[in-house]
Amino acid sequence: MGRRVINPVILAVALAVGLFLLAGALQPGFLSLRQVYNVLRLAAFLGIIAAGQTLVILAGGEGIDLSVGAVATLGAILTFRLTAEWGAGPAILVALAAGLAIGGANGLGVTQLGVPPLVMTLGMTLVVEGLILAVTRGQLVGEVPRVLVALVGPTPVGAVPGVLLLWALLAGLVALLLARTRYGKHLYAVGTQRTVATLSGVRVHAVLVATYALSGLAASLGGVVILGYTQQVFLSLGDPYTLPSVAAVVVGGTALAGGQGSYWGTVVGAIVLTLLSSLLTGLQLPEALRQIIYGVVLLGLLSVYGRQRALRT
Amino acid sequence: MTRRLGTLLRGRSYALALLLALGGLAANALLQPSLLRPGVLSGNLLNTLPLVLVAAGQTLVVLGGGVDLSLGALVSLCNVTFVTLLAARASAAEVAWAATAALGLGLVGGLLNGACVALLRLQPIVATFATSFVFAGAALYVMPSPGGSVPQGLVQAYYSSPLGIPNFFWGVAALLLPWWAARRTRYGPYLYAVGGDARAAYVTGVPVALVWLTTYALAGLLAGLGALALTLSTGTGDPLVGGPMTLSSIVAVVLGGTRLRGGSGGLLGTVLGVVVLSTVQNIVAFLGVPSWWQTLINGVIVLLALASARLEVLLRRRGTWAGA
Amino acid sequence: MERAVLCAEAVSKRYGGVTALAGAELRVLPGEVHALLGANGSGKSTLARILAGATAPDEGRITLDGRPVRWASPQQARRHGVAAVYQELSLLPDMTVAQNIWLAHEPLRGPWVRLREVEARTRDLLELIADTVRPGLTADTLVAELSPDERQLVEVLKALSLGPRVLILDEATASLDSRQVQRLFELVSDWRARGMAIVFISHRMEELMEVADRATVLRNGRTVAEVEVARTDPGELLSLMVGREVAVEPLARPEVAQQALLAVRALRTAKVRGVSLGLRAGEVLGLGGLQGQGQSELLLALFGAVPSQGQVVLDGRPLAPRHPRDAMRQGLAYVPGDRQAQGVLGGRSVLENLLLASWERYGRLLRLRRARSDARQMVDRLGIVTSSLDQPVATLSGGNQQKVVLGRWLLRQPRILLMDDPTKGVDVHTKAELYRLLAELRGQGVGVILHSSDDEELLGLCDRVLVMREGQVVAELAGEALTKERLLSASMGAPVGGLP
Repeated sequence: MGRRVINPVILAVALAVGLFLLAGALQPGFLSLRQVYNVLRLAAFLGIIAAGQTLVILAGGEGIDLSVGAVATLGAILTFRLTAEWGAGPAILVALAAGLAIGGANGLGVTQLGVPPLVMTLGMTLVVEGLILAVTRGQLVGEVPRVLVALVGPTPVGAVPGVLLLWALLAGLVALLLARTRYGKHLYAVGTQRTVATLSGVRVHAVLVATYALSGLAASLGGVVILGYTQQVFLSLGDPYTLPSVAAVVVGGTALAGGQGSYWGTVVGAIVLTLLSSLLTGLQLPEALRQIIYGVVLLGLLSVYGRQRALRT
Repeated sequence: MTRRLGTLLRGRSYALALLLALGGLAANALLQPSLLRPGVLSGNLLNTLPLVLVAAGQTLVVLGGGVDLSLGALVSLCNVTFVTLLAARASAAEVAWAATAALGLGLVGGLLNGACVALLRLQPIVATFATSFVFAGAALYVMPSPGGSVPQGLVQAYYSSPLGIPNFFWGVAALLLPWWAARRTRYGPYLYAVGGDARAAYVTGVPVALVWLTTYALAGLLAGLGALALTLSTGTGDPLVGGPMTLSSIVAVVLGGTRLRGGSGGLLGTVLGVVVLSTVQNIVAFLGVPSWWQTLINGVIVLLALASARLEVLLRRRGTWAGA
Repeated sequence: MERAVLCAEAVSKRYGGVTALAGAELRVLPGEVHALLGANGSGKSTLARILAGATAPDEGRITLDGRPVRWASPQQARRHGVAAVYQELSLLPDMTVAQNIWLAHEPLRGPWVRLREVEARTRDLLELIADTVRPGLTADTLVAELSPDERQLVEVLKALSLGPRVLILDEATASLDSRQVQRLFELVSDWRARGMAIVFISHRMEELMEVADRATVLRNGRTVAEVEVARTDPGELLSLMVGREVAVEPLARPEVAQQALLAVRALRTAKVRGVSLGLRAGEVLGLGGLQGQGQSELLLALFGAVPSQGQVVLDGRPLAPRHPRDAMRQGLAYVPGDRQAQGVLGGRSVLENLLLASWERYGRLLRLRRARSDARQMVDRLGIVTSSLDQPVATLSGGNQQKVVLGRWLLRQPRILLMDDPTKGVDVHTKAELYRLLAELRGQGVGVILHSSDDEELLGLCDRVLVMREGQVVAELAGEALTKERLLSASMGAPVGGLP
């Protein structure tokens, strides 16, 4: 754990505000309420997916979920396909259940077979992508539920987009889960020192399977919501969210080693990262330059508070 | 005989990969008898050489306790640089210059990664994720869309078999021999120690930061070599060509028996891991499976292979209390 | 006046707001064994680390042969002949004994490691500890396969391979059994005769009295005395460490209740080969013997943390826990001695550590206020020194951390307490408090099975002691037969006169 003088979440908030002001300076019209909502809306997609990632990383043991992008795509596609036949409600439920199941499978692979999380979720990504291809056979026909469009789409001036309220609700639930349930306490224990947790009666495997299942659920939920935004599906829908979800967690102050951190940090981390890419897009730079700058800035962010403890005390 | 083989293999990290590779090749040969014709097998294997080189770099990084998610993007960058610096009809000197430049770029990229991990003390997974953007962007900058070409002579030389031995084996030998020599120097124990427990290594006097810096730099160099092999294989340049190689390199490393946590494994296993991956894909394709099922089947097989690799480790550890 | 080889002069060191050393002094002469004594938190380990180059002092200086030195790293200290062995080992589990011993200073020919020389020299080193470890331990054995005591010895060999002039042993005997400690002392005498200076840090008074020539006592980070061991006694040393007169009081042993609590028959695990025992309410049953003979495994098996076979009956009902949770539900508790790995969640707060095993009592949506008050009560009851319930446990001293671990279990009011070397590395004060607590629990009818590597502790606390050897119980000592000699001879496999 790095030695931090300032609370990383506060630092991240300062950074977000700074980026906003910078954007406003570089791009007139950026500081309007509508633009703020736009950015927050995009950040919500990342933030929802990163909620599960936060839990997985908190669980420690090199926990990471690289399948979130593929699961998000799956969630979107299932919703898309099934809405026409069964209606929005059941379709979304099936999508969420699928995410839960895949996450559970990840958890079982990690706990029962001892496959390292990086590798397990990577392999699962291939399986999910294969599943998507096999089921859709490349043909993507379906319908976007209207409720999603209403939730995510443009709103009358001054009204808060529905997805932001959803995100706020989710954040509240996750905070409650972490701070005031037995699962949350056990999760932190598992992330800090697994042996101690087991010897204190914590069912570590159950906690891990539940955590990965929740991550799948969050990823699927993210995909469902993204569907309301893009209003169409494509095979790489979830890809841009996989590694940024990890970055959002780290920028938010949660160490990859686990056992320390919170979802609030991830929320701010998601906003910071989304701000950064929106800013770069808005500046109309060529793709090549945009990517280089994104990488360099991300490195800069990590240098500030993603650093690990020095080996000499 | 099997018992002697068993004793020889027991405890070797690449044992399972060896079995899978041999089994896979046998199955492949059964399904596709034409495979055994000299040109076909060596051609197939040569196609895997780029991944072998990249996965070798990944192996070094993983042995040292890290991971490198930017190798694929680095390959793309070296690839487009090499092609751009080559004219269609290039003299030997120009080829050498272009190759040196590409390799140098790989080395510099690797040093950047090493600096982030060793000097800035960033976590490898996110640091290399960030640098992958830098390399990918640079690749796009050098060559915004696929194109360029490579002198035919070079491509032919690549697919040749000097002294009757296919180039693939020359390439693997050029990779493994220096590796086995390096393991006999202090670098070998240093690398494994740093990957096993960086703190314990530091306290013992191992120059941990230097080891990381060197290792990531070597990985970058190997990515550059992989890019050269890839260019000679495809004959063209593409700023996105390396992307999928990152994940494949990690899968190959794990299949080969190298532990992702670090401190255990080796290059031989990785080479075998790449062979396993490629034979699986060949078999699936050759079985005439419709294209939309191939990804799924490949994925399931990869998962099964990974699971079985772990099963073997678990069986060896039976009886010890590993906690949780 | 002989010239000192290594000196610490007016050394101070602060970690954040905590002062570890404030004007500590040390003079080590060549060819002597110098003991460094002090209660937990007195600064012994910090001073050792400064001497060995692992940390730098804030004030003061270190001199080598009279010349001031400033180590930039442990490596530099080693190059000048100062090597240290700590309780926290620095071995790589996936590498062999030989590779570990020679790491970072392998003999070379050009860039190549001289493998044959490495093998030969490792063999010579292993000769030194030959019959105190199992015969299968060779240069090619993986460290992962070694038991904690064997690893500690390899760590000592690792320091020795550097050919140091000053060897610092910081709690290096904590994991060793009596036979290994004896061998280590023989070696130490040998090295001393050849001019090596050895700085010896230990909590075990008898060891220090036996092996040391001179001793320096630290208290609250300052040096309060430098004495010759031959001219002092444990009582005086203890007083110097604590700062006042301390009487060593014998423990009162209340009557043991007759009611049978636990009956174990033919328990088997990977390391335990058929153990049978009985425990009565209010009894303290000791597990003794050399290190690594299956004592820890036995406790873990009873607790459901390792798979086992056999019959265990608790209160007339069969007990077959497959997970610690099952054992806990039946009223068992397990207190480990390895705090770092098995005891505390370092980065988490005192509150979370105390309540880790009890959260289900506070409802679906945790009633945190009640949890805090329960935790506070336990803190008061055990006398845990902490500024608040939210302080990270890692900032507490070793003794207080152990109290937190114990508190976690006492909150559940267990009926059987399984304790695995709970006072390892704990200071004298806290030990006394823990002993008093044990007496209290006995009076309440709690059954205790206590494994300890400290023979004095076994003799002083237990009603009966089962000596284990190679996974089996080879002797049961009680009453008058419970003596140090009988304990030792049973541990070593020599016949114990006249007892089953």
